[in-house]
Amino acid sequence: MAAWSYLVVGLFLPLFPLSMVFNLLFARVSQPLARAVLLLAWPLTGLGLLHKLGADVPDPVLNWALATSALYAVRLLVLRELGTWTGFLATSLWALLWIPAHEGFELADIALDALGFSAPLVLLVLITVLLNRRLGGAYAGISGGLAASLPRLSVGLIICLLAAVATPPFPGFFSLLSVLMLASPVNMVGLLVVWLLWSWAAARLIQGFVVGARAADSSLQDISRPVSWGLAMAFTALLVTGVLLTGDLL
Amino acid sequence: MDRLILLLPALPLVSALLIHLTATTLRQRVARISQVASLLTFLLAATLLGLSLSGDAPALHRVGSHWGSLLFDPLSVLMAVVISGISYIVHVYSIRYMAEEPGYARFFILLDLMTAALLLMVAAGDLIMLLLAWHVIGVVLYFLLGQDTRSHTAYRYAFWTFFTYRIGDLPLVLAAVLLYQAFGTWSLPEIFAHIDATPGVTTLLGLPLTETVGLLVALAAFARSAQFLLHTWLPYTMEGPTPVSALMHAGIVNAGGFIINRFAPVYIHTDDALHWIFLVGLVTSIIGSVLMLTQNDIKKSLGYSTMGQMGFMIMECGVGAFSLAIYHLIAHGLFKGTLFLGAGSVINEARRSDNVPKDDLYTFIVERQPARHRQPWLLMAAITLAVPVVVFALVHWLVAGDFFQKQGAIVLLFFGWVTGAQLLFSTYRMRTQNLWRTVSMIVFSFTIVVVGYTLISHVFDLFLYPDRDMPLRLYAAAGVDLAWFLTFMILVTAVIVLGWLLTYYSDRRQRYGKTRPGHHWMNFYALVSREFYIADIYSWLTRGLLRLAGRLNVWLRWV
Repeated sequence: MAAWSYLVVGLFLPLFPLSMVFNLLFARVSQPLARAVLLLAWPLTGLGLLHKLGADVPDPVLNWALATSALYAVRLLVLRELGTWTGFLATSLWALLWIPAHEGFELADIALDALGFSAPLVLLVLITVLLNRRLGGAYAGISGGLAASLPRLSVGLIICLLAAVATPPFPGFFSLLSVLMLASPVNMVGLLVVWLLWSWAAARLIQGFVVGARAADSSLQDISRPVSWGLAMAFTALLVTGVLLTGDLL
Repeated sequence: MDRLILLLPALPLVSALLIHLTATTLRQRVARISQVASLLTFLLAATLLGLSLSGDAPALHRVGSHWGSLLFDPLSVLMAVVISGISYIVHVYSIRYMAEEPGYARFFILLDLMTAALLLMVAAGDLIMLLLAWHVIGVVLYFLLGQDTRSHTAYRYAFWTFFTYRIGDLPLVLAAVLLYQAFGTWSLPEIFAHIDATPGVTTLLGLPLTETVGLLVALAAFARSAQFLLHTWLPYTMEGPTPVSALMHAGIVNAGGFIINRFAPVYIHTDDALHWIFLVGLVTSIIGSVLMLTQNDIKKSLGYSTMGQMGFMIMECGVGAFSLAIYHLIAHGLFKGTLFLGAGSVINEARRSDNVPKDDLYTFIVERQPARHRQPWLLMAAITLAVPVVVFALVHWLVAGDFFQKQGAIVLLFFGWVTGAQLLFSTYRMRTQNLWRTVSMIVFSFTIVVVGYTLISHVFDLFLYPDRDMPLRLYAAAGVDLAWFLTFMILVTAVIVLGWLLTYYSDRRQRYGKTRPGHHWMNFYALVSREFYIADIYSWLTRGLLRLAGRLNVWLRWV
């Protein structure tokens, strides 16, 4: 496969610094629906291209991909804005898809793993919108104490973040497991460290948003019961499809 | 009938769901749902234990085809009874204790989720279920410790716990992947059968599979059971509600001992893994005990006491006494749970009366007033050294005559002897009306404890490992070359005797006002009181990484 092909694929299955293109685009697109489409379609486009080109992925590209994932995982630790955080996490997650691609893959299987990584991020976009509407922004630390002032939304945010960082039994966990099965020993350890960094970043974000005294603005309205039920249904669907499809329970 | 094990984690899960659905209408009455569910769970676990005791063979019950199975075996049902029992007590205690706290329903939901995850962990029949439960326990504990969402401090230390648990998740995931890659199955019984058939299988980089998996599982256990260097979270997590502390110290922290037992069929094929486990356990028990003694905060002292106990439990696994570790974790769990749950009443009682017993023991230990008249030291030394060893040898000889052939049993006997000797040594100069009566009582209670401990551990061994070959193979795997063993024993004996002499010497000098703490001693004290600076080093590393992340983001313009 020619070098230029990697450059093109590297835009969609992020390789640093090409990964900056996606993050720039994600930051510029403010429409939630467009962001959701971007999150679902971006890695699938990359996988489709890679499959079409059909050549072996050399080891240096694999190491580059893992380094990209680690770089974004480290940078994730200090991010406070939920939208940017989502983009960085997506970059870190999708870079790992090079590993199954390196081992030769069935497009359907790896696409399922990509969706397993991306689906919780779509819900995170929705949560970002809900936070923006109430607080004017989704910055951890600035608007703390949401557990007291917006308890339902806080629960939604927490579950969403846990699902996004591949906590079992959400689909990301099974996708990560299937990637792990194909990784070399060194990459396996690297991958697990990246996973640890995601959890750390998520915990920092949770503490920034949820913990603290009740917000001074008493006019804050929590999400309505129907929205809350909608979120619950979405999480359940995510969980069930994750266990059955990416988890391959049956 | 043993298929009922599938209901074990389901009951608390259903309870959590019901509480969530009815919280707004039932308000504080939701706790009753949780209480009833936890009682039913306990009764179910007890029924399953009864079935196992009555001779029902171990069985694997599946929900899915690739994974999703629960294992009915002596270890899982015994642990299920312990967990559900402690969970029930914690539920009952929490109903009133948490009544005035915000997030009452949330607390019971989390408590039920934790019970379900713990039950899933002990009954997991495959690696995916085990990983799932292992991971979820850390997540739920994080939120239980951070029950007070207003407290940044509570969340800070809850995060320490979460992060250490996540570190412990990683080696277990790695072990699971290696086992799957080697045998193509997630099922634990199938994996153990494969290992028994082909123990010499190698894995990544040509490393022996059993040794590698054994060490990875041990690492996971170390993080969960607060072993040295992965222990900092334990003494600092006292910001959480008392019932959570009780559950954590009585149940969750013991998971290390359980997981090592679960992988016993792997450890019988290892060469060095159990030696490393012993070493880590030994270091942890010593450091935990030293730190416990130097704390001036009672809660941190309790935390380090648990660390020392966990070290001892891991050490028991390291010498091959696997079932003894299970007995230890149960005994410690009940003891520590009682301490935490009773702490409030004790404090309340202390406000009314100091409750200090003005008896010989108090005068001697607390007021440090020894007797003027001493017994002949040679006689007392002989009693101190001889009585414990005679008691231990007799009891073990009665229970299992061949114990002298097991190095692990001898190591544990040695520790028992040292403890017993110290107990008797401390009575030597006690001011009492009748010293011989006191010494007799101490020897009698010591004998009861030793008989109970030995008999119960023997019964545990028979129940948990009905294949009598298994404990022998575990002891064999834990054994070392005789020359090394003797060197180690002599070294440890020398250290202990030296310690006793030093204590005696310094006690005498102090009594006659001849000592002032030396420079080195003060340095050592400073080191211990700062808990060896381990938490400070971790904080420094963390700050460094966060600073680097911040700089990277600035350089790369946040994209």
